[in-house]
Amino acid sequence: MTTNEITEEAILETLRQVVDPELGCNIVDLGLVYSVSVTGQKVIVVMTLTTAGCPMHESIRWGAQQALLNLAGVAEAEVDVVRDPPWHPSMMTEFGREATGVGNF
Amino acid sequence: MQVSLPISAAVNPSPARPVVTGSLLGANAPSIALPLTFTLTGLLALCSGLIWLVLQPSILAGYHYNQYVIAATHLFVLGWICSVVMGAMYQLVPVALETKLYSERLARWQFAFHVVGFVGMVWMFRVWNMKQVGHFGCVLGMGVGLFVYNMARTLWRVPKWNVTATAVSAALAWICLAVLSGLSVAAAKCVYDSESASSATGAVGVLLGGLRSVAGFLAHFDPISTMHAHAHLGGVGFFTMLIVGVSYKLIPMFTLSEVQSRRRAVCSIALLNMGLAGSFVTILLRSPLKLAFALVIVASLAVYGWEIIAILRARKRRALDWGIKYFLTAIVLLLPLSVLAVVLSWPGLPLNTFTGQLENLYGFLGFIGVITLTIIGMLYKIIPFLVWFGRYSRQIGRAQVPSLADLYSARLQAIGYWAYLAGLAVTSAAIALSNETGVRIGCGFLALGVTTLALNVGKMLAHFFKPTLKPFTLPTSTIAKTA
Repeated sequence: MTTNEITEEAILETLRQVVDPELGCNIVDLGLVYSVSVTGQKVIVVMTLTTAGCPMHESIRWGAQQALLNLAGVAEAEVDVVRDPPWHPSMMTEFGREATGVGNF
Repeated sequence: MQVSLPISAAVNPSPARPVVTGSLLGANAPSIALPLTFTLTGLLALCSGLIWLVLQPSILAGYHYNQYVIAATHLFVLGWICSVVMGAMYQLVPVALETKLYSERLARWQFAFHVVGFVGMVWMFRVWNMKQVGHFGCVLGMGVGLFVYNMARTLWRVPKWNVTATAVSAALAWICLAVLSGLSVAAAKCVYDSESASSATGAVGVLLGGLRSVAGFLAHFDPISTMHAHAHLGGVGFFTMLIVGVSYKLIPMFTLSEVQSRRRAVCSIALLNMGLAGSFVTILLRSPLKLAFALVIVASLAVYGWEIIAILRARKRRALDWGIKYFLTAIVLLLPLSVLAVVLSWPGLPLNTFTGQLENLYGFLGFIGVITLTIIGMLYKIIPFLVWFGRYSRQIGRAQVPSLADLYSARLQAIGYWAYLAGLAVTSAAIALSNETGVRIGCGFLALGVTTLALNVGKMLAHFFKPTLKPFTLPTSTIAKTA
């Protein structure tokens, strides 16, 4: 595989392997992934967490990084956790809402 | 493109020993061994206490100023409640307040002092050897001193002070007073016993002189009132203060909500502190004004309940899991507890068999009802969390790991919930009627409820030895568009 083949879709599919253990849903369908960029063999993901000071912070960030490093063609993975903009249920996919019972009300 | 992920982690899980993943716990939390050790000790004390009540139901069916009631109360309060609360605080306070525990080593020392102290105290209360109660109380007190120092230094590092930090600080102050008042009572009794024999000089003489002064001071107060005042410092000042303060952080976190009115939150903490300060003095003095301060505490809890309702209404997570249901049931039980508090504070209330039993019921509903249900609810959040960190935080991103809810049985939680509620109802009625058989049956239900918790804890801890890891399978959901 060449570096050109690392697509956003592949990265998102990979990040779907990383599940928030409290909510029981993957971080992509939870809407926690804000952006994905690829430079050569390096992937940079900007994401957030559902709660500020979430005690799962390090585990989820580390899990996302590990998953990306296991993706063919990725030599370096950077996962930045940001708090701004804060997460909101409107960022979830329909699948995420159904899986977690989280609503927008 | 093909997404290929190695599944070696799932096929060959790492050795079946608890893995303490310090760095992945975040820079803030201590190792999982610390809170787990406190928690398991607490559970052992809870089970022992309930078995004791089943075997000796007269403890609750008769008036409470006797050695067995005081021993059993300290087993529940120090052995069960304090153990779990202190262990949980070492874990939760740094996480909730985004700071770092000052010293894990001090916490381990505190555990040793705590266990020796409370086991010795309970045993010596049971055989009514107040001199040894005082000695073991000092050991426990040294542990509490380490705990308070450790927590105070931890709070000192809090980057952004908030209402939870204020409540935790107040709780630390109240537990110091609770321990000091308890030790004073024990010390006073020791001095009464050995007054004629004390002719020591030097440091020992000064110490004995001090103890004699304490004894002389406490002789001005009715011993039952002193005991009640001491109990309120612990029950309201430490435990209730923590429940109120910490839930402003945890309930929004678990239900995906936010504190709706910071003003209400601050008001509830302020009223609770004012009410308790006044209650302590007026209970001690048997003043009719204790009703006024009881009402201040009730007002504080009403404001707290109002805010919790507002937080729940604004929640984004519709379904409430059993952990939260246990917790909220405890909050609802504050209602009958408050009514009892007002009745028992009523000026001129005669002390007869029935009102004496109402006092038992008040203590039972407070410690075994509200506080224990709160703790069980929070344990269903804390233990899965610790187990998941210890067992799976290194596997996330490499294999499919279970979610927190997969670690325990919701069915057992539900059985435990209803059994515990039935136990509370039957035991409460039996206490009011001074019925030993009813107390025995009710405590049997309570023991059944706690057994389901113990089974679930065993199920969770089993993940350390038999992890559930599966190879990745790609989800079939649609791909979300990202910014």
